[in-house]
Amino acid sequence: MTDHWTARSEPLLDAEERVSGRKLYVDDLRLPDTLVARFLRSPNAHARIVSIDVSRALATPGVKSVITGLDAPRRYGVLPVGHDETALAVDKVRYAGQEVACVAAETEEIAEDALRKIVIQYELLTAHLSAHSAMAATHHLVHDDKPGNIEKEYHHSFGDSVRGLAEADVVVADTFYHPRVSQAATEPHGTLARFDGADHWTIWTSTQTPRHVQRGVALALDVPAESIRVIPCAVGGGFGGKSETFPQDVSAALLSRITGAPVRIRLSREEVFTLHRGRPENYVRMRLGLRRDGKVTAVECEVIQDGGAFCGYGVATILYSGALLGAIYDIDNIRYDGYRVLTNKPACGPMRGHGTIATRHAFEALLDQAAVALDLDPLDVRRANLLKPNSRTVNDLRVTSYGYPECLERVAEASSWKARRGRMPRGRGLGMAGSHYVSGAANSIVRGSSPHSTVVIEIDPSGRVTLLTGAAEIGQGSDTVLALVAARRLGLEASAIRVISGDTALTPPDLGSYSSRVTFMTGNAALEAATRLAARLKQAAGKRLGLPPDALVLAGGAVRSAPGGPMLLAFQDAVRMAAGGEGQLIEKGSYLPPGEAQGGRFPGSGVGPGVAYSYSAQVVEVQVNEETGEVRVERVWAAHDCGKALNPQAVMGQVEGSVWMGLGQALSEELHYSPQGLLLNGGLLEYRIPGAVESPPVEVFIVESHDPEGPFGAKEAGEGSVAAVIPALTNAIHDAIGVWITELPITPERVLAAIQRQGHGSGAKPALPRPRRRENASARP
Amino acid sequence: MIGLPSFRLHRPTSIEEAVGLLAEHRDDAKLLAGGTDLLVNLRHGLATPSHIVSLAEVPGLDRIDCSPEHGLTIGALSTLESLATHPGVEESFPVVVRAARTISGPTLRAMGTVGGNLCLDTRCHWYNQSFFWRQACGFCLKKDGTACHVAPGSSLCWAAYSGDLAPAFLVLGAEIKLLSVRGERRVPLDRFFLDDGLRKFDMASDELLTQVCVSATRAHLRGVYSKLRIRGALDYPLAGVAAAARIAGGGTFHEAALALTAVGPRPFLVEGATEILEGLRANDEDAIERVAHLARRLSNPMNTTWAMQPAYRRLRVGLFARDALREMGERGP
Repeated sequence: MTDHWTARSEPLLDAEERVSGRKLYVDDLRLPDTLVARFLRSPNAHARIVSIDVSRALATPGVKSVITGLDAPRRYGVLPVGHDETALAVDKVRYAGQEVACVAAETEEIAEDALRKIVIQYELLTAHLSAHSAMAATHHLVHDDKPGNIEKEYHHSFGDSVRGLAEADVVVADTFYHPRVSQAATEPHGTLARFDGADHWTIWTSTQTPRHVQRGVALALDVPAESIRVIPCAVGGGFGGKSETFPQDVSAALLSRITGAPVRIRLSREEVFTLHRGRPENYVRMRLGLRRDGKVTAVECEVIQDGGAFCGYGVATILYSGALLGAIYDIDNIRYDGYRVLTNKPACGPMRGHGTIATRHAFEALLDQAAVALDLDPLDVRRANLLKPNSRTVNDLRVTSYGYPECLERVAEASSWKARRGRMPRGRGLGMAGSHYVSGAANSIVRGSSPHSTVVIEIDPSGRVTLLTGAAEIGQGSDTVLALVAARRLGLEASAIRVISGDTALTPPDLGSYSSRVTFMTGNAALEAATRLAARLKQAAGKRLGLPPDALVLAGGAVRSAPGGPMLLAFQDAVRMAAGGEGQLIEKGSYLPPGEAQGGRFPGSGVGPGVAYSYSAQVVEVQVNEETGEVRVERVWAAHDCGKALNPQAVMGQVEGSVWMGLGQALSEELHYSPQGLLLNGGLLEYRIPGAVESPPVEVFIVESHDPEGPFGAKEAGEGSVAAVIPALTNAIHDAIGVWITELPITPERVLAAIQRQGHGSGAKPALPRPRRRENASARP
Repeated sequence: MIGLPSFRLHRPTSIEEAVGLLAEHRDDAKLLAGGTDLLVNLRHGLATPSHIVSLAEVPGLDRIDCSPEHGLTIGALSTLESLATHPGVEESFPVVVRAARTISGPTLRAMGTVGGNLCLDTRCHWYNQSFFWRQACGFCLKKDGTACHVAPGSSLCWAAYSGDLAPAFLVLGAEIKLLSVRGERRVPLDRFFLDDGLRKFDMASDELLTQVCVSATRAHLRGVYSKLRIRGALDYPLAGVAAAARIAGGGTFHEAALALTAVGPRPFLVEGATEILEGLRANDEDAIERVAHLARRLSNPMNTTWAMQPAYRRLRVGLFARDALREMGERGP
């Protein structure tokens, strides 16, 4: 059996359907007699609900039902430790824009009209709108059981950072601030729910994680998960913003049971921004010690995240921020203090590059600050801190394949780093940085020891192959990559394989499309299923041909003795022989991460371990106008180690998209809240995603480190390249004009302020919040 | 809101019928040209007309006539794209084309009209929000409320005028034609704009802007338009400076004018700039700095957008003015 993979770019299986507009999104679905529902949202950031009167809304002609918090009071949440949400606010509202009531009516206009007739009396509570004020609060807590408004804090110490810093020849320290940013996926969230009778529902929804939605809705409605069938429609982008159960999922399901009619909810763009589930505000304080030769001796890092009103994935986010200080460089001493803070703003989510962006910015920026202090080339500093493949980090992360060194060399060479960095006219600069990401989390957020992915492949007697997977195709190309893996093993074209994905009633369990897990984990499950089928086919063919199965290969749609050899038996015939009386060939494969990848044994050790890590190195070339403070990114070189590019074109697209998304956060994206907690820029005009004009040429290099456990050696491609571009850019700005930008986005005003600060020699940056560590904090699981 | 509110749509087929409808419904009616401003405002509940008068089937309002002899006349329904790509206008009145090309992006320029851009509603981040948002925040002076969130206590509205074409036409001394059932009147553009977001234009509710005219005497002036924005497309200006001048054979400024937009409730000419520069050498850095300083001093951006601070917007007005004058002078006679 040959495992050699010949790279060939394939268009995504659904590309034509998507670009021609035939693909069906939730909002395209039409069921007879469907009602539409709209939410009434809280105008206040923090208030007790004294009374709700829905009688006038209910009496509006065309209104079929009005529900409020008490109609579904059970709490849910995506993490087992974070069941703190209800579909509609119960007793109090925790952020401006939170769902308080939901009206189902014949038309949206009627529903909107009815919303205005709902009378709610609020008693205002102190709103905690920043991490600073929330941590200082002693009363009117966001959740009564979270003193100091701390959702969770972790204090991790590996090695001895104090000794490490003492041994350093130079210690650099700085503070960093990243504001909230949003995924702003093309498709706004939507749900269509139908109560099928006898406590069964079908929910069509825009989600990355059908199984999490199934579980969440079941929890909220107090019914068994099996009674909910979730069918993910085509998803117009997720980026971590569609990975949870949302109020619209629960509300539509409940309203459908009450009214007996299907209920559809689509969110407006403003509502999507209000819902958020994007990145939290991050305040990072970091110290880095280095020896004269550039070797890092220790890192100390404190992260405070303003995570909004609910936990969501927050505990995982704050853990990723610390854990992924490891697994890219060889560091003996790591200290991490992380605080996830609750505030009266919308909850945050696992946005692309989950938890790693701000700490990576800080670390890579400080590496450069140290390089300047030591008069070393930043490339050489990075070279001096490389890991070895197949090693274990001080914080118990298992690193297998490690293509980072080659990533660095590729971008250094392509950008003429040695010849140009530090040698261009003032205003022009080059900067470098690296980043990495898990290729699927080694530990499931669902407790238990079930496989993370199971794939079933069926071949009917006509030779048609159907692959069933619970992973959701969200535009990232997961259907295509699974088809490619199975097709490769079965000797077919990817287009010959029909992929049915996501439907919880038809497909085997899979955790879903997040944390860059599908290619690796679901890919391995698909490979196992396909390998079993291939063995059965060769067995049957060998029997018929009188040849040992080992002498046969499946290639070019037939059984052959060698890939280019003559056809010995058509694929279809082999299928019929193998199926015998069964009529159909069915095999399943599954994937469960190996125990040794699952990390250490300390509180919070579950998050950070990946079954493998992708790596990225990037160089950014920038032009800075010192008079106006304007920054123009001229060019980006990005090398990404994806293990093995199963579909090079798709990898390039993911890396380009990552760079571009990171640049948006670096240059112009941020969410602004008013003094009373209302989102000021909840629209695509005022939330400034860069356009074609701002998009520099991005040269992508694929680095293949052939992961020993990935399917055909593959790892993830979609997240590891987001983080590096930000510090590469700030490092380039330093190369251009000699100032360090530590706050995002890099507005002209911030650049001018940094120039001015440098001129006056004062470090008058905005203050960071000061956490108060509680004594027994690290003992808690 | 996702859907549009209810209204009665009128589709007049002549200009007379259109102004007749305006006279009949007055404040209860809104004109619909390209719709790129109005439709957003309808969804936000900022415009709540019972009647909408569509100009889609009114003929004869989308002509652009341009010649060095007769000057420039632009029908109000000309699309921004047709203006941005007009070779004759680019040749004779370059500042207009340069401004038009900065407006939003190609698709919106294909819909948006010259008249609509001139009559753009003023903008403010406390105002350009959904009904839910404005209600939650507390309605403002400009719509449904009594208080100004930008300048508490103010009885004027400080929402910023955000059109890009107005300053370009201002530096060329343009006039506009307003038509109503009462007849036609010509108004110099610099008198059309008023300094209050509540009463933005010298235009009655039954009047229709039909044409913009620039005199032939202003043909072949050099022109520059500079726009401060965060992205290179889509964004409204956070400050804009238009400049025009004739550079005489000896390299001296004549008929120089500067106008500002997006730094107050109305676009306006920088008063005194023409007098300072008249007859001075185009490389007179001293005079250029004086005019730049003047422009900066006259600009009065307020906190109507979270996107950039007023101080930075004023800084850029000065730099834009300086650079525009330098650029016009540098290109030789």
